[in-house]
Amino acid sequence: MRLSRPQIQDLALGVLGILLFLLGWELIGFYKLAGLTWPRFSTVMEYLFDPSRRGLFGRAMGASFSMILGGYLLGFLIGLGAAMLSYTLKPMQPGIDRLASTINAIPPIALAPLFIVLLSREVTGMAIATINVFFVIYVAATSGLEKSRQNHRDLFKVLGASKSTRMLRLDLPAALPSIVSGMKYATPAAFIGAILGEWFGASRGLGLLMVSAMQNFQIPLLWSAVFIASAASLIAFGLMSLLERFVHGRFS
Amino acid sequence: MSPETAINVDHVGMVFTLDDGTELTAVRDVDIKIGKGEFVALLGPSGCGKSTILRLVAALEEASFGRVTIEGQDPAELSRAHRLGVAFQDHALLPWLTVKDNVALPYKVAGKKVDTTRVKELLELVGLGKFAGARPSQLSGGMRQRVSIARALVLRPDVLLLDEPFGALDAVTRRHMNVELQRIWAEDEVTTLLVTHSVEEALFLADRVLVMTGRPGTVAMEMKIPFARPRDPSIQRTPEFHAMADKLTLALEPEA
Ligand SMILES: Nc1ncnc2c1ncn2[C@@H]1O[C@H](COP(=O)(O)OP(=O)(O)OP(=O)(O)O)[C@@H](O)[C@H]1O
Ligand SMILES: [Mg+2]
Repeated sequence: MRLSRPQIQDLALGVLGILLFLLGWELIGFYKLAGLTWPRFSTVMEYLFDPSRRGLFGRAMGASFSMILGGYLLGFLIGLGAAMLSYTLKPMQPGIDRLASTINAIPPIALAPLFIVLLSREVTGMAIATINVFFVIYVAATSGLEKSRQNHRDLFKVLGASKSTRMLRLDLPAALPSIVSGMKYATPAAFIGAILGEWFGASRGLGLLMVSAMQNFQIPLLWSAVFIASAASLIAFGLMSLLERFVHGRFS
Repeated sequence: MSPETAINVDHVGMVFTLDDGTELTAVRDVDIKIGKGEFVALLGPSGCGKSTILRLVAALEEASFGRVTIEGQDPAELSRAHRLGVAFQDHALLPWLTVKDNVALPYKVAGKKVDTTRVKELLELVGLGKFAGARPSQLSGGMRQRVSIARALVLRPDVLLLDEPFGALDAVTRRHMNVELQRIWAEDEVTTLLVTHSVEEALFLADRVLVMTGRPGTVAMEMKIPFARPRDPSIQRTPEFHAMADKLTLALEPEA
């Protein structure tokens, strides 16, 4: 993908912003402006990249990222499936809409104990991530499926398209820009859900690391775990933005 | 004209209810019979209801009065059987498909195997062989219209509906496309309804020309075109052609 001038400018500004942010972090830590619980950026990096901790962080990342990815995929499939169902069976749409909003209106924190009882501590994070992602994708896909243009709908009618053919060849491609935007906003939602879920007693993962670091006042460990989660979420978000740009260029 | 009626627009009226609740009569008491294998051109000023008639025949609208049938059946039966070819006024190409895939779409929708030779031939015929892999956004308006004509023809439909297919073309390309369309049409002599603003185009292509006027629109005049087929572009320079063109032009602007 070739970048245009304004895109390069955006990129440069973005990099500059991140550098300024990290510099600020370093300085606040250096002058202890925010007290003892704010370490210098370099301290955190030293801690994080110490070879002796590679195993610790590796295992935590492996556990969390697989929960995030699992929840993301599951939530995506359920969300898209529900949107396609409510689009195909129009009379069911208000019902599915209400169900989805109700599920979304309940704070995941309140659901976590239920999941722990119903499922297990290990997959509670994944379950919350699934719910978060489900809702974002459902809303995006539902609005996207309405986006096909009237003249294209006329065309498919004239060609004698069945409902499923129209779904596959018109409604879904027309919905793709909305769906991909939804997928972008679902990425941080999956991270939040999974890590939050791990606070409730998972035996591995970044969330567990955060909780135990907090309880034992291991400040660099806490910041390292937060740093990994934030950086990974930002990178995933950035990659989804690239995908979004490509899809918007082609499908709308 | 063959005696067998293919398309029957039987005393049709169409009333649209606008957003503010007022009613707009788009066409009134339109009675058109098109024989099997006949090529009929529909002329008329903008807004007189030509596209409305076409959409009624394509089962995209339901008549408020009267009834449209194709071979005695509801027009929707024809589209359901994938036997209807339509080129819309606004081309309606899918932006995410290449030109070639847009033309092949009717096969896919009908669940048939794509005849790539046919797709290629038609693209050559409309002068877009080199653009098979391009996307609609990379084409000019006139090129997009030509793709949509190729798409309308690809399945060799029983009924062909063309809504100002050459509206965006320059005079030279347009004349060239008219000759090509005549040739493609002669292959299967498919029953055709062509909406156009061009008197010359109507005369050159059609067996019969209908002139619609007024608001609400109705058929004001009908003219049989006697030229034998295949027609050479040179007929457009004959006195006979000019006389008919004058007559149609006059019918289009009765107040002038
Ligand atoms: N869906 C609709 N709702 C309301 N009014 C409509 C609708 N479709 C067409 N009309 C009206 O019906 C009349 C005829 O429209 P139509 O598109 O058939 O004209 P036309 O002869 O094809 O014109 P043009 O040559 O400009 O394409 C117009 O007054 C238009 O406003
Ligand atoms: Mg029109």
